[in-house]
Amino acid sequence: MTWLNGLNIGIIVILIGLYGMLTKTNLIKMIMCLYVMSSGVILFFISLGYVSGGEAAIFENGVKAMVDPLPQAVMLTTLVIGLGITALGLALAIKTYEDNRTLDTRKLKEKEE
Amino acid sequence: MDRTSKVVKTFTRKLFPFILLYGCYLISHGHLTPGGGFQGGVIFGSAIILLGLVEGIRMTEKRFREDMLSLTKNIGMLIFMLFGFTGMILGYAFLSDFLPKGETGTVPSAGLILLLNLTIGFMVGTGIAVIFYRSVRHGSEEE
Amino acid sequence: MTRTIIILTLLGLALFAFSAMDFEYGKPGPRVSEHYIEKGVTETGALNMVTSIYLNYRAYDTLGEATVFFATALGVFMLLRKEKSGDGSHFESS
Repeated sequence: MTWLNGLNIGIIVILIGLYGMLTKTNLIKMIMCLYVMSSGVILFFISLGYVSGGEAAIFENGVKAMVDPLPQAVMLTTLVIGLGITALGLALAIKTYEDNRTLDTRKLKEKEE
Repeated sequence: MDRTSKVVKTFTRKLFPFILLYGCYLISHGHLTPGGGFQGGVIFGSAIILLGLVEGIRMTEKRFREDMLSLTKNIGMLIFMLFGFTGMILGYAFLSDFLPKGETGTVPSAGLILLLNLTIGFMVGTGIAVIFYRSVRHGSEEE
Repeated sequence: MTRTIIILTLLGLALFAFSAMDFEYGKPGPRVSEHYIEKGVTETGALNMVTSIYLNYRAYDTLGEATVFFATALGVFMLLRKEKSGDGSHFESS
């Protein structure tokens, strides 16, 4: 079971999000697939800093090896930025629905021409 | 007519102060246990969202007014910048740690980290509540 | 439609092959993290290593991230106003 580590699961989650974004035509589903892809990237980067046999990154007496705390600190920022992108995307989707009365990307493309 | 169930309403009314207390605990003990500014701020904002879902926006507005929440968010951003510039006036670098440190293991022990955690916690919490208020009120038939 | 699935499958197999190639999974990382782990408690006073990194050693990135969150909340506040008949984003031609 050595293939069941965080790197491979992160790649699978990214591919699931990418498939959903390419085939769905509803605008809100595409925004949610973007958020799934962001979660996959974050999982991939956090599991790059894994040390086998290490404990969590809180200092206690008598701890031999710790996992790498640097990717975790960087990914905290990425999480909040993902939240911001989703919130603004959904607000823009609300405004698009008010102007055009549809959320289908095929019909929106026809209306543009 | 009421669409929320009785169980959700009763539990939320009884548990709401404890959720706020848990959020404040996560913010203030961010340098000793897992937690910090962002995590505690999200819990704080989620408590206000839960109250808004159960009671209705008009009753929640009486306790947590929208302009006060927006003011807290704006002032929090200003205070973060002021902490950085205070370090620069005293002779150190921007956003450096200039307060004295206590003994390890207690709450006031890490210098500027506690104050920055509090600022970020309030900013994120009220920001999420403001986003919720705006999304619910847009397009409703009230005046 | 089938072209999409074929491209995605090939991409997935390529990524799997890359990640299983010669990657040391579980060995300790770069030298900067060793400095943060060894000297973190005495220099900052915080027991949580992740907090001492993103609020003391790399506090400038946290300032940028707070700015992004503030801009997001401001953007949603400005986009979703309450006027039903026409929004404030249509400019009147004088």
